[in-house]
Amino acid sequence: MISPIVYVALATILFFLGGAGFLFRRNVLVSLMSIEIMLNATNLALVAFNRLHTDSHTGQMLTFFVIAVAAAEVAVGLAIVISFFRIKRSVRTDEADLLRN
Amino acid sequence: MNAFYSLFSAEEFSPLAIVLGMPLLGAFVNGVWGKRLGKEAVKTMALSAMAISFFAALFTFAALNHHVDSSAVEKVVEGHKVVEHEHVKLSWLAWEWMRASGAGGLSAIPIQAKFSVDALSGIMMLVITGIGFLIHLYASNYMETDKGYWRFFAYLNLFVFSMLILVLGDNLPLLFVGWEGVGLCSYLLIGFWYDKLPNAAAGKKAFIANRVGDFGLICAMFLIAHYCGALDWTGIEAGAKSLLSPDMVHVWPFGNAHYDGVFGFLQPKVPLMMTGATAVCACLLLGATGKSAQMPLYVWLPDAMAGPTPVSALIHAATMVTAGIYLICRLNFVFVLAPGVMAVIAGVGAFTALFAATIALVQNDLKKVLAYSTVSQLGFMFLGVGSGSFTAGFFHVLTHAFFKACLFLAAGSVIHAMHARVHDDEKSQDMRMMGGLKKYMPLTYGTFGAATLAIIGFPLTSGFFSKDEILFRSFSNSYQWVDKARAESLKMWMPPAYLGKIYYVMGVLAATLTAFYMCRAFFLTFYGDFKGWKIGKPVAAEGHDEDDHDDHGDDHHHDDLTIPGAAPHESPRPMTIPLIILAALAVFGGLLNPGLAKSLFHLESIPLEHWLEPVFATSMAKGIHEVEHNLSMELMCTAGAFSAFAIGSGLAYWTYIVNNGAPAKQWAAAAPGLHKMLMAKWMVDELYDATAISMVDGLADTFVGADKIVVDGILAQVTSFLAAAFGTAFRAVQNGMVHVYAAAMVVGVAGFSWFFAMPHAEGMIVDKGNGDFIVAAAPGFGYEYKFDDAQKFGATSEKPVHLDLPAADKSDKAKATAPVTKNVVLTVKNVFGIQDTKTFVLVRTPAKDKQMIGQN
Repeated sequence: MISPIVYVALATILFFLGGAGFLFRRNVLVSLMSIEIMLNATNLALVAFNRLHTDSHTGQMLTFFVIAVAAAEVAVGLAIVISFFRIKRSVRTDEADLLRN
Repeated sequence: MNAFYSLFSAEEFSPLAIVLGMPLLGAFVNGVWGKRLGKEAVKTMALSAMAISFFAALFTFAALNHHVDSSAVEKVVEGHKVVEHEHVKLSWLAWEWMRASGAGGLSAIPIQAKFSVDALSGIMMLVITGIGFLIHLYASNYMETDKGYWRFFAYLNLFVFSMLILVLGDNLPLLFVGWEGVGLCSYLLIGFWYDKLPNAAAGKKAFIANRVGDFGLICAMFLIAHYCGALDWTGIEAGAKSLLSPDMVHVWPFGNAHYDGVFGFLQPKVPLMMTGATAVCACLLLGATGKSAQMPLYVWLPDAMAGPTPVSALIHAATMVTAGIYLICRLNFVFVLAPGVMAVIAGVGAFTALFAATIALVQNDLKKVLAYSTVSQLGFMFLGVGSGSFTAGFFHVLTHAFFKACLFLAAGSVIHAMHARVHDDEKSQDMRMMGGLKKYMPLTYGTFGAATLAIIGFPLTSGFFSKDEILFRSFSNSYQWVDKARAESLKMWMPPAYLGKIYYVMGVLAATLTAFYMCRAFFLTFYGDFKGWKIGKPVAAEGHDEDDHDDHGDDHHHDDLTIPGAAPHESPRPMTIPLIILAALAVFGGLLNPGLAKSLFHLESIPLEHWLEPVFATSMAKGIHEVEHNLSMELMCTAGAFSAFAIGSGLAYWTYIVNNGAPAKQWAAAAPGLHKMLMAKWMVDELYDATAISMVDGLADTFVGADKIVVDGILAQVTSFLAAAFGTAFRAVQNGMVHVYAAAMVVGVAGFSWFFAMPHAEGMIVDKGNGDFIVAAAPGFGYEYKFDDAQKFGATSEKPVHLDLPAADKSDKAKATAPVTKNVVLTVKNVFGIQDTKTFVLVRTPAKDKQMIGQN
């Protein structure tokens, strides 16, 4: 059995990759994908930690919730991206400064 | 018929709900839908509500008498057969309103929405609904062309409802609800034509002057709750004796502070105390003077004439202003315990009667004369009740309701006719423009005349009997009702017996003046030549001018008022019928209580006295009427009253009929200063303006200044500057870029993560006294603790420590009191193995130890 610490280490790497991608990439679609990566990193960590607590399935249950919420979030996010694209003819985040007004 | 009465028991007398409910229904319907209903429907609603209420009231009164008769017990006292009646009440409990509870042994006092009728409130109820109906009928025509017709009747019905609450309420708080309700309606109706500034101001004045009185009433309520432990009439009566207990009201100085400086005289060594009874009655008197327009709060009533005339008749003559006298009669068993206050009541009454009568002598406005006359007559009622003769005072309430309502309505009829000719509000009330109306308005003339006869005390009219009774009672009264020894032990002021004689003289003088000014008003209005031909606008300006508001008929326009045109005309039937009925009551109403006839012909009983006997039984038992019906004394007093009538009216006849007003002008010329003072109403309004009102104004100005400098100037400026500064700073951050926001979020999350990743050695010291301490470390994520030099970290987060004091050494005092200290080092390690330490300093002070021992 592979030690859970490997999974947790992988999850940490994925989380920081996602975070960096979200912060530094300018494409909205990539940002969304980065968020997905971060969420999945969390999922991985949850499942891995669940292996340490064999008497319950809380971590795995929570994973399903996260997946469901992530799906909903992507649906909303894509809708925003589409309407943003209609207005600006672009999907670059540095042009997304309409929140100001 | 008996079976009919026994349908309702005395405790569950639900017809009262009809008496009360109909005017409320009328007010509600007219108030909510009146505008859309149209005049006919509004009229039908208001009049039928009043009529049904009146019939229910009649039934109630008949049932009351039935219950009284069936409760009569025949007894033989000293060989005479005496029929004794209980104080029978018909009551109806609507619901329990609330429970008043408080400190100081005051157990919960239930305050119920309960209404009850006895003879006193029953007669008031009949007056309110009966005269109320007549005045509604009159107003249905008088207000015909007013655009606020529905509003007027909604207010008027609401007034009747409130007045009935006041009269029928079975406890003081409920009376207060009605008291405020009539005040509100009075305000609304005085300012009925609110688009005119003086009217609105008059309404406000009435409201504010009444607030002063209400303050007194509220204080009285608190005191009664404290002393009697009850607020309903029966409970107050039962607990009234504790009002004379040695537990007195500390009036001055406030608190127990001691001060001997320059203003030491403000703080007497012996505090000013008064008995509970005196305090309660003084407060009630303040309330009564406000509502019943007595000195010093009468100023609102003359101004209240700005309202429509039916309002003046109903509210400011017949019903509302007598509420103060009703209150005194209702709480007669409290007032007899404070003869000092009673003497003040009688004095206020006598003085007001005289004072207002002098002002009425010179007024030219017909309604103003009647207004001052009302103030004066209310003074007579105060004189009556203050002299301990509640029956006499209340009888005058009754007769005054008849003749003054009649006078006001007749005056309204005159004004109505004048207005149709003159189209000017002020001139149509000015008696100098009238004269000779006898010829044009025979019915109004006759009824006004009959009511005038009653008010000036023409023999055998109602006013003659009631005023005569008051004057006689005032003369024969001695104010010695409270046991002398008791009064002395409580240091009560007992008014001297000669006060009654002085009041009698003042009363006779006031009656003389009354006869004079009423005859003057009557002669100026109805005799001589009509002087209204020459007033009015020139031909060119005639038409719809701005003064011409819509309340009186537009069908009476005359193109040229400078030449004889259409004559003033008699009012239509809905206005004259109430006049005739009221005039008949004014003339024959005296038969209800002809005190003189009783003594002359040795009558067994007279109706009003017979009805009211059980109501005033408690106070009569105090020996208030111990004065024998001394026939010669009574005849002498009657002679005084009669001569007052004869001199006053004879002088008026001589002045205004025989000499056509010439002597009046001579007198005015002979004493110009006095005449000017009278015309200026003794400058009382100016006095109030200069003192109380300007003081309040000054206070308001001060606060306005403070508001402008402190609130608007400093506080508002500082806050707005702060908000602007923060806004400028944060505006730089809010640039609308999504990734900047995301970065800020990451920084925040990183900060939190750092905080949670690092251990924090925090904790607190619990001082248990006597050198025992506990050092308790704050919990955290995966924390392990180590205290001082312990080898290992452990899960225990607390450590008890004991500090010993050094051995007692009496020779070294400094050492004995020096504090002992000890350091405890706490080390915390979290899951990541990072450590943090903190040193706690424990201090034990011997002095503090002693304190804590003392406490334990």
